[in-house]
Amino acid sequence: MSAPATPPPPPEEGEPTTTAGKLQLRQRAGGIVPPVLTVIFAFFMGGLVIAASGHNPIDTYLGILDGAGLNWFWDDFGNTDVFELTTFNFTQTLLRTTTFIFTGLAVAFAFRCGLFNIGGQGQYTMGIVVAVWVGAYWGDSLPNGLHVVVGVVLAALAGAIWAGIAGILKATVGAHEVITTIMLNWIAIWFASYCFGQGGPLQNTTRGQESVPISDDVYEKSGAIIPILWGDQGLQALHYGFFLAIAALIVFSIVLNRTTLGYEVRAVGFNPEAAAYGGISVKKNFFLAMAISGLFAGLAAGTDIFGWKYDAGTLDVQASYVGFVGIAVALLGRSTAVGVGLGALIFGALDYGTTRGLDPEKFDPTLAGNLSSMIQGLVVLFVGADLLILYVWSLRRKRFATPRMAGKGV
Amino acid sequence: MAERSSAPLVTPLRVGVAGVVLGAAAFWIALPPIHARSLVVPALLAAIGIGAGIYAARQGQVRAGWSAIVIGGLGVGLAYLATRSSVGNLEIVFTWSSLIAAMFVFATPLVYASLGGLFSERSGVVNIGLEGMMLMGCFWGIWGTDKTGSWITGVLIAMLSGGFLGLVHAFFSVHLRADQIIGGTAINLLAVGVTGYFFIQFYGSENIPAGVSEIPRLDMSFLQSIPPEALGDFLFGAFGRLSVMIWIGFILVALSHVVVFKTPLGLRLRAVGEHPRAADTVGISVYGVRYAAVTFSGMLAAAGGAFLSVGVVSTFNEGMTAGRGFIALAAVIAGNWRPFGAFWFACLFGFSTALAFRLGDAYRESVAGLDVLAQMLPYVLTLIIVAGVIGKSFPPAAVGRPYTKQ
Amino acid sequence: MTPTVLEMHGIVKQFPGILANDNVDFDLRRGEVHALLGENGAGKSTLMNILYGLYRPDAGEIRVAGKPVTFHSAKDAIESGLGMVHQHFMLIPVMTVAENIVLATEPTEAGIFLDYDEARRHVRELALQFGFSIDPDARIEDITVGQQQRVEILKALYRRADILILDEPTAVLTPQEAVELFGILKILQREGMSIIFISHKLNEVLEIADRITVLRRGKMIDTVPREGATEEGLARSMVGREVLLRVEKPPATPGEKVLELRNVDVRDDRGLEKVRGVSLEVRAGEIVGIAGVDGNGQTELIEAITGLRSRESGDIIVHGKEMSLNANPRAMLEAGVGHIPEDRHRYGMVLDFTLAENVALHDFRYPPDSRFGWLFPKVLVERTRRLIKDFDVRGGGPQTKARNLSGGNQQKLVVAREVDRDPKVLIAAQPTRGLDVGAIEYLHRRLVEERDTGRAVLLVSLELEEVLTLSDRVLVMYEGEIVGEHAAGVTEEEVGVEMLGGQREKVA
Repeated sequence: MSAPATPPPPPEEGEPTTTAGKLQLRQRAGGIVPPVLTVIFAFFMGGLVIAASGHNPIDTYLGILDGAGLNWFWDDFGNTDVFELTTFNFTQTLLRTTTFIFTGLAVAFAFRCGLFNIGGQGQYTMGIVVAVWVGAYWGDSLPNGLHVVVGVVLAALAGAIWAGIAGILKATVGAHEVITTIMLNWIAIWFASYCFGQGGPLQNTTRGQESVPISDDVYEKSGAIIPILWGDQGLQALHYGFFLAIAALIVFSIVLNRTTLGYEVRAVGFNPEAAAYGGISVKKNFFLAMAISGLFAGLAAGTDIFGWKYDAGTLDVQASYVGFVGIAVALLGRSTAVGVGLGALIFGALDYGTTRGLDPEKFDPTLAGNLSSMIQGLVVLFVGADLLILYVWSLRRKRFATPRMAGKGV
Repeated sequence: MAERSSAPLVTPLRVGVAGVVLGAAAFWIALPPIHARSLVVPALLAAIGIGAGIYAARQGQVRAGWSAIVIGGLGVGLAYLATRSSVGNLEIVFTWSSLIAAMFVFATPLVYASLGGLFSERSGVVNIGLEGMMLMGCFWGIWGTDKTGSWITGVLIAMLSGGFLGLVHAFFSVHLRADQIIGGTAINLLAVGVTGYFFIQFYGSENIPAGVSEIPRLDMSFLQSIPPEALGDFLFGAFGRLSVMIWIGFILVALSHVVVFKTPLGLRLRAVGEHPRAADTVGISVYGVRYAAVTFSGMLAAAGGAFLSVGVVSTFNEGMTAGRGFIALAAVIAGNWRPFGAFWFACLFGFSTALAFRLGDAYRESVAGLDVLAQMLPYVLTLIIVAGVIGKSFPPAAVGRPYTKQ
Repeated sequence: MTPTVLEMHGIVKQFPGILANDNVDFDLRRGEVHALLGENGAGKSTLMNILYGLYRPDAGEIRVAGKPVTFHSAKDAIESGLGMVHQHFMLIPVMTVAENIVLATEPTEAGIFLDYDEARRHVRELALQFGFSIDPDARIEDITVGQQQRVEILKALYRRADILILDEPTAVLTPQEAVELFGILKILQREGMSIIFISHKLNEVLEIADRITVLRRGKMIDTVPREGATEEGLARSMVGREVLLRVEKPPATPGEKVLELRNVDVRDDRGLEKVRGVSLEVRAGEIVGIAGVDGNGQTELIEAITGLRSRESGDIIVHGKEMSLNANPRAMLEAGVGHIPEDRHRYGMVLDFTLAENVALHDFRYPPDSRFGWLFPKVLVERTRRLIKDFDVRGGGPQTKARNLSGGNQQKLVVAREVDRDPKVLIAAQPTRGLDVGAIEYLHRRLVEERDTGRAVLLVSLELEEVLTLSDRVLVMYEGEIVGEHAAGVTEEEVGVEMLGGQREKVA
């Protein structure tokens, strides 16, 4: 019969259709203001929740600040004990910042390609499994320095492969990465629980500890650890992995902006159809973007295990949430290197300041942990929304700009 | 112009499907009640199935063909495992009637949530936040039941909390036109934080007290008296003592089907999801319909969550939904945005969960940690379905795209 | 004196950066066909969207039958007796004709269930009343565009409209279908319907309208009766100056074969055959144009030639080189195929990239743009600067985001990029869609210039006039096949017949 073609409803002229596109479009316009506003707004809403449950928001937030050790920057300390505590708090904050930089990059890189990588947690978990395996179960087969490097690299690869599965599924059958990565998250968590659990292949070999679902300890078994940067080895200290994280931020930025790979990734993220027309393989880039993202998540796991955790157990794996913080970090930081860095710092401070660092007198730490989670959620929510607020705002400015001009002598 | 030729009886697609069935049958006959103990018949069935699959794939039906090959291979492999296992253990796991009852129990939270997701998606809004809305229902449902002593008010309170989150999601997605996936993720993070926070606040270290009001079960013992005895026993085992909310779930599925496809309300809902501008031009309020649909989806998801906490485990644990909201969404997509389709897939996932628990129980001694590994089953299944089935899906055309009213 | 059924006074509508309607007056008399004429962007659609309640005017008044009205939504307009047939149909493809027509005013059974039988009956009745038959159970995506348009009209009639607004209705029709449409409009007129007909096509407007109002850049220029109006006069009002209605071009001197297609078959995503056994050739120094109604396989044909879609069978030979069935865009680019895509926002450029990044879209992975994966931005910027100068691209420099340029300048950049690569054959698909007259003139001139430098040009356009004006040879495509080939100078009528498949029974 005759040609049926229905003229399709056109998308709003030129509006970006991908997540990355939408994020990129409006955020440049505002610069640093929208993220700051977002954070303030989120903290404000969090404060309302605190107040609603009968606590004083100001005190609480100050307590969190202290707990995070951020007061290291401005307090002048007469008391050396307080100074030591604050320094310790600060190193712990930086420790978490390191992890969050990596998991934030894991989400950010995928975002730039238009993909939503919610699987950071699962990728991290697989990295943990491999890192523990290499670190604690390879004994002294390698000299320490090499051992650490091999462990971190293999952990990163594990994350890359795990994310790559979702990437391949997206590239070949078009499976939506949100669902696949979340399923992979849970598969990873159960797999790791199995490994570290009772009777599992990576359960600890310590006599008398057979019922404890924790792995062997890297520090004990092979001594292959990342050297300390700041602090006391006996207490958790900040390790050189922190510099690796900073380096990762730089590499991220360079790859995206100065390499052909980055060009392709960004093109696909903004406009896959134009990218295809330009000869770029969209499928290849989907896979690569996911794999590289997983690589970052795996790096997080590697540096964590060889840097300070040294072992892992079923409970750690099931309670961990670093992958999800990465999402908030990436969104807050608009998937840019500087943004992710600062976002990781904010969330690192929030995370530590609300848990171990918080003076129990001031606020119940378990409550505070959930507060942190809520604030993360609010941040993500407002990131999605503030772009629109900005857009509407910019519309208003243009509206007022033109009528005077159009009226004159046309 | 094109004459309509009579469709042949044996098409490659049908051969492929037959192959899948044969592969599944290969495994099935090794299980109770047939208990085939030798591998001969299963191997034969699987071989025919794989052959059928190869034929179908060669004839162009790639998906069906490969499914048959894979399932044929799996079928004979699993049959082998079954023949190696003791009959006793097999009996424990594969008591079909109680397995089916357990399937319904685990499926029902998914059923509610997927119906919610269906309404939202049909109106054009992606609801990734089903997980969070469900979780809210889990907590507030059991809190409400605890505080008021009645499960009905508990579920209602749960629905209120879910509806509230739904409203938030609607506001951000419809009015502010924010990215719906980011918004949904935010809802999930928020829900984890809020429920965890108030859980500690209200229950501290004591946990939810036991003896919280239970949801009554519908007594269908008359089923047992249906002849022949084996059928009666089976029906009673499967349907005899299911919770009231499970039956409500069944009714909701049928009701949803009628509403969506046979009423003006459903027509308008679908119009908004397919072509919102067209709906707008005939005077339908796109915003209104989307708000209603998304809020309603929150309520339904929360009801499912309430059933999970109050009806299934009788307690609350932080993050207890464990990805079920996403599985529900996968069920919607796999079921092609139709209530009965989503229902079948929810049952499939429920079945895998039920199976996982039983496998863990039965084989706990022989394979260390199997109970933990088995927990992966529903997620692996979802992954396979999302990868395999969801190629040719036809979602509502405008789903995920915010609508701008000029 | 025929009564006035509709008046619009002093309508003003401002969009960001554009004053779409600047104090426009318009009126409509009972039983007349009043044409609203203007080029793309003149403000016609905006005015009618305001009338139909989809936009709210910033100032001005609307009166229906003498009474002032304010429309808050399409629903209000519908209740006042207005019906609108949009340029892009407001039909839901997966639903049936009947469902689309009764949407929002559905007949019900027992107040709850949709009464499908009643809906079907009513639709059939209405159609018969106005002289055409339609299958109420057919899905929109399965019927022809002409039939879809009739469904749109039925939608308005079902809601008892007595004022009908048609927005560029012939944009998607063949000349024959347009004639059928005019026939229907005459019947409607007889039944007392008042009709507003938006168009940018001078010849149509002169044929169908009783009165003609011209808009230009948001202003109402003039309202004239049909008697005495001429194409030149109207064109001058539309554009504000003398317009070259035909492009001056010297005759072509074709050289060797550059692009050859032999028996090419292409299927679409659903597996339907969209291109059937197409054979054609384009020589250096000539413009070959393909005319046809949208949906007859032109899109798929272009996709196959440019590598965006693999073809089932047949040969494509570029400058002597045979291209494989699965050749991807990169292979085609390297073989010498240049492509000005039909949707520059979707395919032609990445709006969020800078101009320099867009210029590099095809070649970024080769030196001098990059080496071993490392990009050299300075090289890109230099090249972009040169192109901006040569092609008179205005609105920004190499570091400006493509999004900030106007449509015309974006298209110029796309053309610049393609031409600069010195392709052997240039495929231009809908190159002037959505552009203003100035940009269209420029592009037409440029295409002819390219032809004169010896390039082979294949032009595909839904604007029949454009094809006829520019092409040295015209091919007609219908249902995936080339059904006719003509030399330059062929008329619209001759081509129009073939666009509908030759001598056919009139399908009601």
